[in-house]
Amino acid sequence: MRSWFAGLLPVLRSAALLVASGPLLATGPALAQGLGPGHVPGAVVQTEQVRAELLAHAPEGLVPGKPMWLGLSIRHIPHWHTYWKNPGDSGLPTTLSWQLPAGAMAGDIAWPTPQRLPVGPLVNYGYEGDLLLPVRLTLPAGFHADTLAVRLHAEWLVCAETCIPQSGDFALNLPSQGSLAAHAARFTQALAAVPAAPPGATLSARVDGPALVFDVAGLPAAWRQQPLRLFAEQAGVIDHAAAAQVSWQGERLQIRQPLSAQRSESPATLQLVLTTPGQPVGVALAAPLGGGWPVGNTQVATATVPAATAAVAAPPAAPVDTTRSPAAGASADALGGAASPMLIVTLALAFLGGLMLNLMPCVFPVLSLKVLGLTGQGADRRHMVAGGLAYTAGVLLSFLVLAGLLLMMRAGGAELGWGFQLQSPGFVALLALLFTLIGLNLSGVFCLSGVMPDRVCNARARQPLVDHGLTGVLAVLIASPCTAPFMGAALGVALAQPPLQALSVFAALGLGMAAPYLAVSCWPGLARRLPRPGAWMEQFKMLLAFPMYATVVWLLWVLGHQVGIDGAVALLGLLVLVAFAAWVLGSRALGLRTRRGLGVVAMALLGIGLAWTWPALQSPAGGVPMPPSPTLANAAVRWQPWSPEAVSRAQAEGRPVFVDFTAAWCVTCQFNKLGALSNAGLLADLDARQVLLLRADWTRRDASITQALTALGRSGVPVYALYSPGQAQPRLLPEILTVARVREAIAAWPTSSPSP
Amino acid sequence: MTHCIPRWSSLGLLALGLTAAGLAQAQAVVGQPAPAFKVTDTGGKAVSLADFKGKHVVLEWVNPGCPYVQKHYDSGNMPATQKSARAKDVVWLAVSSTSRDAGDYKAPAELAGWLQAKGASPSATLMDDDGKVGRSYGARTTPHMYVIDPQGKLVYAGAIDSKPSSNPADIKTATNYINQALGETLAGKPVSKAVTQAYGCSVKYASGA
Repeated sequence: MRSWFAGLLPVLRSAALLVASGPLLATGPALAQGLGPGHVPGAVVQTEQVRAELLAHAPEGLVPGKPMWLGLSIRHIPHWHTYWKNPGDSGLPTTLSWQLPAGAMAGDIAWPTPQRLPVGPLVNYGYEGDLLLPVRLTLPAGFHADTLAVRLHAEWLVCAETCIPQSGDFALNLPSQGSLAAHAARFTQALAAVPAAPPGATLSARVDGPALVFDVAGLPAAWRQQPLRLFAEQAGVIDHAAAAQVSWQGERLQIRQPLSAQRSESPATLQLVLTTPGQPVGVALAAPLGGGWPVGNTQVATATVPAATAAVAAPPAAPVDTTRSPAAGASADALGGAASPMLIVTLALAFLGGLMLNLMPCVFPVLSLKVLGLTGQGADRRHMVAGGLAYTAGVLLSFLVLAGLLLMMRAGGAELGWGFQLQSPGFVALLALLFTLIGLNLSGVFCLSGVMPDRVCNARARQPLVDHGLTGVLAVLIASPCTAPFMGAALGVALAQPPLQALSVFAALGLGMAAPYLAVSCWPGLARRLPRPGAWMEQFKMLLAFPMYATVVWLLWVLGHQVGIDGAVALLGLLVLVAFAAWVLGSRALGLRTRRGLGVVAMALLGIGLAWTWPALQSPAGGVPMPPSPTLANAAVRWQPWSPEAVSRAQAEGRPVFVDFTAAWCVTCQFNKLGALSNAGLLADLDARQVLLLRADWTRRDASITQALTALGRSGVPVYALYSPGQAQPRLLPEILTVARVREAIAAWPTSSPSP
Repeated sequence: MTHCIPRWSSLGLLALGLTAAGLAQAQAVVGQPAPAFKVTDTGGKAVSLADFKGKHVVLEWVNPGCPYVQKHYDSGNMPATQKSARAKDVVWLAVSSTSRDAGDYKAPAELAGWLQAKGASPSATLMDDDGKVGRSYGARTTPHMYVIDPQGKLVYAGAIDSKPSSNPADIKTATNYINQALGETLAGKPVSKAVTQAYGCSVKYASGA
C-alpha cells in the first residue's frame, strides 16, 4: 500500500512555492488561472506536478489523407497520476478541446492502456510517468496553407494522495511543408499502447445477479491461463476495486466481474480492456449486453412520503408548493414516521376528494338522475339501501378498473394520465351519443322499454341493482376529467405508489364519491326530506334532460378541439340520425307499419351516417402536428404555446413564467380561464412584471405535457405553475384559481424595473 | 420458568445473526435499507442513523483538503444546499472518513471550525476516522452524497451535481442532484436520478479498516 506521506511532499513544496499563505490546496485551481488572459500560450504548460506539452506528428507532412497526429504529452513527477477515460472510483478523465482552422478536425483521444492505481480500498484507472494522449488530425481535401495554427485547451486532474485540478492553453503553429517527425518515437510508442481488438476474438456479456459475466474466445495464445486484469471503459458500471474471477477452459475464458452496488449507468454495449502481466498493451473487446439490464430494483417509490405530500396538499385553498416551504417540509417529516397512519391519512383525503367530486359540474347531472330514481322508488328502505350499495359497488368497481388500467399503462410506459379517456375523440363521440340518448329519453322522445327487447326490459325490471351499478359506472366515467382540488395530489400519490396502495387510494376516492348517495339511501331521514313523488316528476324528468344536452354541447366542443369543425359537425349529424332512430323505434304514438317502414329507413341512414362520419372522428394521425387548438388561437397573443424550451429560455433570461396546463374537456380549467385568468387587472399586473404566459393544451394527447405534469407530481389538469425569477422549481397555485391568490404569489417577488 | 433462559438465549442468537447479516452487507444499495452506523461527531457525541428514523437524512462525505470539496464550499453551493435541506427538516450529516494518517486529516475541532467558517450548517459532523461508515456506504469520493428516506431506505447515491469539474462556474448550470432528490422524495415521488457517478478526490481511507 502506498504511503500516505509519499505524495504529500510535492504538494507542500508547491504550496510553499506558489502561495506563501492560504490553505494547502487552494493552489490547485489557481494554477490554471495563473496564466491570465494576457498570457500568450505556447506548446508547454509546466505545473508542480506535470510538464504538459502539445506535440504534433506528421512524418509525411500536413497532407490530407496522410497520417497526422496531435497529442498532449503529460510527464508526471513520481507518485502522481492523471486519469484514463474511465477514471475508476474517483478522479476525472483528461479532456481536450481543440481550436483548428475551418475543415480541420481532431478526433477522439486514442487512450493508451491504463494502469490500475489502488488508493486504499478504492481503485483508479490512470497513468503515471510519461504519457502521450494522441489524437488523429484530419485536414480538408483542398488544404494548402503555409502553417496550421493549432490551439488546445486541456483540463486534467493530477492526483497522488491529494488531487489538484489543472488546465492549460496550448498553441502550435505547424509548418505544412516537410516532415514533422521530431516526436516519432513517442507517438509510435503511445499508439502501440492503445488496446486493439485481437483478430478473431469474440466477447459476449450478460448480467448474472450482482455481477457481469463475460465469455471471451479467440485471445492470442500467449494469454492463455494467464492472470488477467479487467478495465471497464464505461464509468459507473462495475465495482472497480473488486477482483475479477477468471476461469480458463482451453482457449475459452470466462470472467465474472462484480457490478457496482451503486451502478449509475446501463450501457447497451460493454467495452472492456483486458491486460495480463506479460503484455503491457491490453486488448479491447466490446459486446452488446445479452438479456439487457435488470430493471426496477433501484427506483422504488416510498408509500408513506407521498401520503405526507397529500396531507400537505390537503386544504383546497392552500397553494401546493413543490419547492416546499419549511412548514410543509416539517409537517411531512412529522407525519413520515410511521407507515400505516400515513396511509390512513391518504385514504381519508382521497375519500374527501371523492366527496367533492359529487359537486363537480360533470357529475351533478348523473347525481340528479339518481335522486330522480330515488324519488321514483318511494320509501321502500330495503330497496333503497340495496340500490345505494349497488351504486357504490358500481362506482368502486369502475374506479378500481380505471386504476388498474392506469397502472397497466403506467407499467407499459404509456405516456398517459388521468383524463386520458377524453383525449380520445372516439370516446368523446360515444359519450356524446350516450348523453344524447339519455337526454332524449328524459325528454320523453322514446321509452327504454320500447327500444329494448322485452327480455332485457324484464331483466332490468327484475334487476334494478344492475341498473344502479351501471349508473355508478357512468358517474365515474364522466367524473374522471374533473380533477377536484384533492384529485391532482391524490392521483399523483397513487401513481407513484406500489399497485396495492394505489388501488386503495382509488377505492377510497370511489367510496367518497358514492357516499352521499349511499347516505341518502340508507338514511330514511334524508330520504324523506326529498320531495314526494307525483305528477311534477314527469316535468322534473324533462327538466333534467337539459343538463344532458348541455353536457353534449360541452362534449362537442371538446371534440371540435380534437378533430376540428368537420368532425364535430359529423357527430352532430350522427346525433340527429340517432335521435330520429330513437323516435321512430321508441315512440308509442306511431303505428306499427309506419314504425317498421321508417325504422328501416332510420337504421339504413344511421348505418350510412356512421360509416361516413367515423373516419372524421378518429385522432389525427400520430406524429402529425395539429394546428394549435382554438383555445390558443382565440386567446390574445398574450398567451404563448408552452414548451419546456420556452420555460428554460425565459428562466435563463431571469423572466418569471406562468404556465396554464389546461384542456378543453376540463371544466375547472374553463372556469378559471373565464374567471381569474380573464381578469383585466390581474393580466395587467402580470404584464407589468413581465411574466411570460404559457399555455400547455392537453386536450389532445401530448407526451411532453404528460411528462411535465408527472414531473410536477400531477396527473391531471388544471395545474398552474408559477416560476419565480431565478427559481428552478415552480410554485403550484391552487386548482381553483382566484385573482387574490395569483396576486399574492407574485407580490413576494422583488419589484422589477418598471416597464412601459 | 426454567424454559425462559433458553428462549432468551435463542433470541439473542437471532439478534446476533441479524447483526451479522447487516454487517455482511458490504455496500449500500439504492432502494435497500441504508447501513446502520454509530459514530461520534466533532463534539464527541455518539450519533447513530437510528436516531433519525422518520426523517430524511443526507450524508455528505467531506474533506476540506479536496479541491472538489472546496469548489462546493467556497462557492457557497454546499452550505446553501445544507441550509435549504435543513429548512425542510432534513437531517444533514457531514462525514469525514479521512484517515488520521492522511495529510489532509483534520481533528474534530479543526474540521468543525473549517465548516463553520464556510457557513456550513450540517446537523452533525461525524468522525469516521477508521472509515467503517464510508466503506459500508461505498463512499468513494469527496464529496459523495447519499439521501436516506424516513423509513431508512437509501434513495439516492452519487454526485452533488451533474457537472464533474473543478470549475465553480459550472455550478450555476449544473443540476444539483441533492436538491432534486430531496425535492422529489419530499414530494412523494420516486427519485428520478437515484444513482449518479460521484466525482471528486478519493476518500483517504485508513489502511486495513
